[in-house]
Amino acid sequence: MTGKASTGMRKLRIVLWALVVVAAAGAGFLAYGPRPTGVSEVEAIYAKPFQLVNQDGAAVTEANFLGKPSVWFYGFTHCPDVCPTALAEMSALLEELGPDADKLNVVFVSVDPERDTPEIMKEYVEYFDDRITGLTGDLAQVSTMAKDRYIFFEKEPMEGGDYLMGHQASIQLVTADGRFFGTLATEEGFDTRMAKLRRLIGQG
Amino acid sequence: MQKFILGLAIAAIPALAQAHDFTSGSIFIEHPMIQEAPPNAPVLGGYVTIHNNGDVPERLMGIESKTAEKVELHQSVVTDGIARMEPLAEGMEIPAGATVSLGDDGTHAMFIKPDRRYQAGDEVAATLFFENAGPVEVVFNVEQRSAEAAPNHEGHSQ
Ligand SMILES: [Cu+2]
Repeated sequence: MTGKASTGMRKLRIVLWALVVVAAAGAGFLAYGPRPTGVSEVEAIYAKPFQLVNQDGAAVTEANFLGKPSVWFYGFTHCPDVCPTALAEMSALLEELGPDADKLNVVFVSVDPERDTPEIMKEYVEYFDDRITGLTGDLAQVSTMAKDRYIFFEKEPMEGGDYLMGHQASIQLVTADGRFFGTLATEEGFDTRMAKLRRLIGQG
Repeated sequence: MQKFILGLAIAAIPALAQAHDFTSGSIFIEHPMIQEAPPNAPVLGGYVTIHNNGDVPERLMGIESKTAEKVELHQSVVTDGIARMEPLAEGMEIPAGATVSLGDDGTHAMFIKPDRRYQAGDEVAATLFFENAGPVEVVFNVEQRSAEAAPNHEGHSQ
C-alpha cells in the first residue's frame, strides 16, 4: 500500500513529483477545460503540500495519497471512545469492501502529534486494521496540513497539566486528485457509509 | 489482520449472557465493562449501568482504581462537527427509580494511564463513589470492542 517510502526513496520522490505534475495538469484541465460530469468543482485541498511521518517512521507527503481516492480521519490515541469507534467502524467497512479496499488510501491523522509518536501510531492503528495508514509529525506540519484542509482541532487543557483534544468528527472522502468528495458520519449507519465509499471508488 | 475484529461476533452475544452485578442498598450496579483498546492505548473507556431502586436521587461522584493513574467521568460530545470530551463535573445523577448508564450520550469513565495492557477477559477492580450509598467495590470486565455502529456480520444485509 502507500507510505512504504523507506526504500527507494529517491526513485519514489521522482515518481511522486511526476504525480504532482500530473495532478496539477489535471487541476488545470478541470479549471479551464470542458467540465467533466460528476467531478465537483471544489479546490483540490488534499493536493496541498505537507510533510508528515507514517507509522513506520517514513517521511510522506500529500503525493503519497493522491492517485487513488482516499479516506481521511483525524483523532488521537488519548481518546477512549470516538476515535477507536471510528477506527473499528472503518475496519468493518474495509472488510466489507474486500479487495476493493485496495482502491482506497485510508489515513488516520493524529491531531496530538506531541504525544502520538510513529511507534505509538503503529501499534494503535494496526490493532484495528493494517490497511489504515497512521500519520503524525511536527505539530506545525500537522497544523498547516489540517488548516489547508479546513480541519479544526485544538488542545483543551485539564486540571493537573493534562489535556484533551477537540477535533473534526466527520470522516473526509477525497477524490484521486485531492478534491473533497463528501463525508462519513457514524450516525449515518453502515449501509449508507458503505454506499458512499463505493461511490467514491467508482468516481476514481 | 485486524486483531479486534473477533469482537464483532462476540458482541452479538447479549450482555446478559455474561451478567455480573453489584448491589449496595437500593443501588443496583449492572455489568461494569471496559472496552479492550490497542496494546499501548493510554486510556481505556469504562461503562456501567446503575439502577436506583430507592426513593431519593443518587449521584455517582467518581471512580477510583489502583489499575490506573486516575479515573475521570467524561462525556464525549459532537457540536458543530467537532468531537470533544468534557468532564462530568457534577458526576452523574441517577434519579429515584431511574436507570442511568455511563455510556449513554457519550458518557464514559476514562481510565487514564492503565498500569498494564488489559485484554478481553481481564478484570479491573474499581470503587464507585456514590453521594448517599458511599463507596461500592466493583469489577469491570474487559471485553472486545464491538465496533458499535457497525453491524455484526450477519446483520448488514437488511
Ligand atoms: Cu474521556
